[in-house]
Amino acid sequence: MHEIYQLASGILVWVALIVFVGGTAGRLIRMAITARKKDAVIYQYFSFYYALRSILHWIIPFGSMSMRARPAMTLVAFIFHICLIITPIFLAAHVILIAESWGIGWAYLPNAVADIMTILVILGCLFFLLRRIVQRDVRYLSTPGDFVLLLVVAAPFVTGIWTYHQWSGFEIAGIVHMLSGELMLICLPFTRLFHMALFPFTRGYAGSEAGGVRRARDW
Amino acid sequence: MNNSRAKNLWLLIIPALLFLAAAVCAQGYITKVEDSGFEKHTRPAVSFAHDAHNEAAGIESCNTCHHMYEDGKLQDQASIGMECSSCHLDGYSGRLELIRVYHLQCKSCHLDQKAGPVQCAQCHRKEE
Ligand code: HEC
Ligand code: HEC
Ligand code: HEC
Ligand code: HEC
Ligand code: HEM
Repeated sequence: MHEIYQLASGILVWVALIVFVGGTAGRLIRMAITARKKDAVIYQYFSFYYALRSILHWIIPFGSMSMRARPAMTLVAFIFHICLIITPIFLAAHVILIAESWGIGWAYLPNAVADIMTILVILGCLFFLLRRIVQRDVRYLSTPGDFVLLLVVAAPFVTGIWTYHQWSGFEIAGIVHMLSGELMLICLPFTRLFHMALFPFTRGYAGSEAGGVRRARDW
Repeated sequence: MNNSRAKNLWLLIIPALLFLAAAVCAQGYITKVEDSGFEKHTRPAVSFAHDAHNEAAGIESCNTCHHMYEDGKLQDQASIGMECSSCHLDGYSGRLELIRVYHLQCKSCHLDQKAGPVQCAQCHRKEE
């Protein structure tokens, strides 16, 4: 148990972080190069004003037309993404471990708040799962990979709350938690999860084109 | 020997002996780490049967934990009777710093020796 703990909380964290940062940077750079080759004009009409204007409309709940058209999906998606990103960064246990390893620290969430946010993420995963099963058009477009990806995202949250509450088997849950968290970080740059890193660029691109070329709104 | 002087000496010795006895007994009675530096607790208290733990772990000198430094050098004498927080709580990030040193001291030895708890829930155990 000590060996696995040491591995999962030591070297594997580094592997996960390096793959995550390196993979993200690599894909973004490749994308920039491809854009220069295939669609070089984007560099001419790219505008920070129109890019930011579009990004803003898409990160404000119900700021775009397609969001207003599907209110339930929008609400769940917003709560899900906020909790997904904020919870691990400001979780007491994570901040404490980082302070132990690197001597740096920041404010952290009260445990009860972290618990609620974790449950919201798990409920969000269930909602997306049900949507893929129940809604005809979405089911038709779903691949097995989509379901595996949902599992990869849900796993750190399910095992995290499990070990925190010391439900039976919490020691194994703790180890599985660390490994699944690392798996998720490793998967991020190479799967559809990458849309998180792409978001500012796709919106910036669409926003610049819509605002600068077509003189239209894209939200 | 001057009578009143001897009396004064006893007045010093008796409390000193009492203090030592209390100190030696107190460590035997410690079953939980409850540093007064933590104003509020956010986790279950850590079980720590002081003497039994140190015997089982084969720790001989008190200053393995109750250490004392001078000019950055570890001293032979120990800081018995002082809570960790009396030296390790300062600045605005004090609370996190105090948590950090507790974890560092307890956990790193457990990891080195591959014995003793290392996960949050193993130390901060909920009462059954
Ligand atoms: C494994 C680390 C460790 C070792 C070794 C150790 N102690 Fe302690 N001791 C502690 C901790 C932790 C506390 C609780 C500290 C607190 O409450 O602030 C404590 C508390 C005490 C207290 C009570 C202090 C109080 O404020 O109530 C005494 C007395 C004490 N130790 C004496 C000793 C003596 C004597 C030795 C050597 C024979 C020793 N300790 C070895 C960790 C250790
Ligand atoms: C008399 C004051 C004093 C007391 C009491 C004390 N320490 Fe320390 N401790 C120090 C000093 C000074 C240092 C810094 C040594 C150095 O220069 O590296 C230190 C260093 C440490 C370190 C290493 C920190 C690092 O960043 O590497 C740990 C861990 C630690 N102490 C834990 C404890 C624990 C746990 C207790 C209570 C059982 C305790 N200390 C009690 C003075 C104290
Ligand atoms: C110098 C090494 C060392 C330090 C420092 C140390 N431990 Fe331990 N601890 C051990 C060893 C070795 C064991 C396993 C003993 C055994 O075989 O039962 C152990 C076991 C334990 C256990 C399980 C014992 C049981 O009864 O099941 C607890 C709880 C524990 N340690 C708490 C602490 C806490 C809290 C601290 C910090 C205040 C601490 N330890 C500091 C070496 C250490
Ligand atoms: C080896 C035992 C050990 C392990 C493992 C451990 N702790 Fe602790 N922790 C302690 C001790 C001892 C204290 C000091 C407790 C006290 O004085 O009340 C402490 C204090 C704390 C405190 C401050 C007191 C409070 O209740 O708010 C927090 C928070 C905390 N630990 C969280 C964690 C988290 C999160 C983890 C896992 C990442 C963890 N601990 C793992 C031994 C441990
Ligand atoms: C990189 C390796 C990781 C390590 C070493 C790690 C470590 C931990 C630890 C030790 C706990 C605390 C258990 C407790 O408080 O008793 C925890 C809880 C938790 N972690 Fe992680 N974690 C990692 C990655 C992740 C990731 C990537 C996510 C999510 C994206 C995540 C989400 C959570 C959640 C949601 C909790 C429980 C919150 C609660 O209900 O209180 N972790 N983690």
